[in-house]
Amino acid sequence: MSEESDSELIARAKEDPAAFSLLYERYVKNIYSYIYYRTGNHHDAEDLVSRTFYRALKHFARYEDRGAPFSAYLYRIAHNMVANWHRDRSRRQVIPLDEMLLSSLKREQPAAVAEEKGEQEILLAAVRRLPPDRQRLLIHKFVDQMSNAEIARIMGRTEGAIKSLYHRTLVALRQDLLEKGRGIDQEESSDEQEALR
Amino acid sequence: MNKRRSDDILAAHAERLLSQPGAMQQIAVEDEERNELDPLFALAEQLYQSMPPVQPPAAFVHSLGKELAGSAKHQVATARRMRRGVLIGAATVGSLVSIASLVGAIVYIVSRLRARSHAHAR
Repeated sequence: MSEESDSELIARAKEDPAAFSLLYERYVKNIYSYIYYRTGNHHDAEDLVSRTFYRALKHFARYEDRGAPFSAYLYRIAHNMVANWHRDRSRRQVIPLDEMLLSSLKREQPAAVAEEKGEQEILLAAVRRLPPDRQRLLIHKFVDQMSNAEIARIMGRTEGAIKSLYHRTLVALRQDLLEKGRGIDQEESSDEQEALR
Repeated sequence: MNKRRSDDILAAHAERLLSQPGAMQQIAVEDEERNELDPLFALAEQLYQSMPPVQPPAAFVHSLGKELAGSAKHQVATARRMRRGVLIGAATVGSLVSIASLVGAIVYIVSRLRARSHAHAR
């Protein structure tokens, strides 16, 4: 991969199409991971990644390098794409193919593996219920394995604000999981009570 | 516990988790702090386990890269053509304006000369 900095590639890409391809190669995996964790399925991730890069290219002539990482520009576009996707999806109920595959796989898995997979799914579903900026923070931290300083640069915040957001995110996520867990317990206990009657 | 202190401990825990997964116990926190933050440490560890990097399919990356390269080439060529068009247009307009002013000046001088010769003839 090219050793040139983002700024050098951006300047060159205005005249040389090959430089845009290098920017694409540099960031496609991160953008894919981000969109995958936000949507939860590979099919939509591929579609939205394509749209993200096409939009970035379309508006590239007007892009001004102000020192922020190029990935911040791409994440902003990806964020808008995912927001539109969620809006469209809320209008029509769709079951992603990956979820269908997962549930069919679950039937074939041994109980322990299925349980572990189930817990993971519950956790990821809870992550997807978080506000977009908190989901983004978790993706940058655990998937992209970025430092707080890098996340701060990409999200346009201070390092202290990122640390604080991370803390609040963990608290909110735990609260959500506890509430859902309690909800299940309550359902179970009401079932038990009905059975006792 | 002070909120900033909790922020720092959780941030340090996450960084340790990412760089040295086995070294989580080394963070210097007091027992009371550890007890308070233990559920959040556990949640962070669960997140770390559940969110591995996802690789896009190689065929997808390759084909999208190829399509984008074609579009980028087309876009740069279009921009170049447009810039050249604007330049030629501006040069044409400039030339036309110059010719028109020259013709205007000649017409003006001729009409002045004619008017003067008419005045002399009278």
